[in-house]
Amino acid sequence: MFITIRNLTKSFKKGPNLITPLQNLSLEAPRGEFLALMGPSGSGKTTLLNLIAGIDSPTSGDLMIDDHDVARLSRAQLTKWRSRHVGYIFQLYHLVPILSAFENVELPLLLMPLSRSERRARADAALDLVGLSDRAQHRPPELSGGQEQRVAIARAIVHDPELLVADEPTGDLDGESARSILALLTSLSQDHGKTIVMVTHDPKAAAVANRVLHLEKGQLVNPPATPASAVS
Amino acid sequence: MLPITYAIRNLFRDPSRLLQTVGGSALVVLLVIAAAALTRGMEGVLEATGSAQNVILVGAGSEESIERSEVHLDAESAAATAVSGLSSPLGITAASGEILYMAPLTIAGGHEEPALLRGVTEKALLVHTRVRVIEGAYPSPGQVMVGRLMYRRFGVEALDLAPGRTIAFGKTEFTISGIFEAPGTVLESEVWFDRNDLATLTQRDTLSAVYLRLDDAEFDDVHVFTLQRNDLELSAIREDKYYEKLSSFYAPIRAMTWVTAALVAAGAIFGGLNTLYAAFASRIREMATLQSIGYTRTALLLSLVQESLLATLTGTLLAFVLAMFFLDGLSIPLSLGTFTMELTPGIILTGLGTGLALGTFGTLPPALRCLKPALPVALRSS
Repeated sequence: MFITIRNLTKSFKKGPNLITPLQNLSLEAPRGEFLALMGPSGSGKTTLLNLIAGIDSPTSGDLMIDDHDVARLSRAQLTKWRSRHVGYIFQLYHLVPILSAFENVELPLLLMPLSRSERRARADAALDLVGLSDRAQHRPPELSGGQEQRVAIARAIVHDPELLVADEPTGDLDGESARSILALLTSLSQDHGKTIVMVTHDPKAAAVANRVLHLEKGQLVNPPATPASAVS
Repeated sequence: MLPITYAIRNLFRDPSRLLQTVGGSALVVLLVIAAAALTRGMEGVLEATGSAQNVILVGAGSEESIERSEVHLDAESAAATAVSGLSSPLGITAASGEILYMAPLTIAGGHEEPALLRGVTEKALLVHTRVRVIEGAYPSPGQVMVGRLMYRRFGVEALDLAPGRTIAFGKTEFTISGIFEAPGTVLESEVWFDRNDLATLTQRDTLSAVYLRLDDAEFDDVHVFTLQRNDLELSAIREDKYYEKLSSFYAPIRAMTWVTAALVAAGAIFGGLNTLYAAFASRIREMATLQSIGYTRTALLLSLVQESLLATLTGTLLAFVLAMFFLDGLSIPLSLGTFTMELTPGIILTGLGTGLALGTFGTLPPALRCLKPALPVALRSS
């Protein structure tokens, strides 16, 4: 399994109260699966996504991503692991406004031992893959929402991570842009073998995933299905 | 590490903030440079004026101020003969009895300023060895010789105090016979009179002090002389020690300069900090995004410091340019003499250090606050 989660719990103190957004959650996902996480607000979707992405650390339980014991990594180790193995796609794109599309995409590559020409080639290829070669020198304020999200996807894949996590990637887009982003994610999963975990409220978006998981109060409300029984 | 271009472009993200940071740091650095230059100039000129080879004989009890001292006229010749080992260039013993008097002088056009007047004979040149007549001649009766920086005290052009012009003490006019220099000393702001003229004008029949220049003799030899001739009621002071004491007299002025600089700088620093807090607070999510990509907090902190340093060092450069135009060479007249502010290497380093400290330590609190929130929280911030 690419993702193996056993009895994962995340809790934190908020004032005098102990909040537990995830409790004893277990799931598995094979390499290349496109997984959608659905559920009401506060159900723990984003918390689970952040744990899988190494943005946060669990309170207890096991979290293995491609044989990396992510739950046991220190903050510094997590930072390094993310830079190699994870691409994060945000609802509001989170592009750096003062950098061009090309420079935004190049950001993850600056952490790798690559020459300038290698970085250029890879960033160009990523922008080409998302269909934005002609917008490489444009800054985020000069792009539409759909184009910004494409740049964000190019940034997430440019360093060729095995895992892509997406938090409501179509939540801020119009229908047409949303469809093209979902098509792009599907292609990344099917044609490029990326494992994708996507949080969404939109059933249409979830429908493109191989499997949809529902969370409520920090727990899965339907048992994890195998890829064979995936929702198509 | 993030590329330097990221820091440079961030500077121009908010031009008003950039202007405020550059202007604020320029103000702080300029104030520090001014305070340091003033302090250094004041100390330097007083240190340079006193010579360890000169001993001053003053009236016992007047060690703090030569101007208040009264020394019998006989003391000059008595010291010259009794103390062996005094410097004797061309066979003339370097013992100069002088009158020092602080009084207002008037120049053509009615400008009136207080100045230190020194009544001398030719022997003054044997003890004040830095003095050199650079224009005109040594004063004869009815004439005065003015220090090179005297015109600045009056706030006039150098030509207004050129040889041939007149200068008045009360109703008595004197012709300027010459200009002298004594580089780096307070003597350059003095007016030298013929000793008899000044004695008449001030109605004194005593000297203020006798200056002795030592050759083989030591200070103790002069001290022994003052004890042997206790009838003259003299006290011996080394000239450099005398000016050191004078320098400490100006310590409150120097302290006030630093306090004023510190207060204005504190205002500018707090204003700058406030701006930085606001600027960095709006970038919490961006910093979190960069962390999610894989940039460490240390790398981001360095980038933020780098960004601030670019602004504060630009301000520092601006301060240096302003200081070169408005401070370097500026003369500050005080009662004792005129101090010249100079941008010495030490003062430039002080200014540079201030700029670096502002950029580094001023950035750390807002930058750390920007990077402090937990990543999941920071990613959700607006």
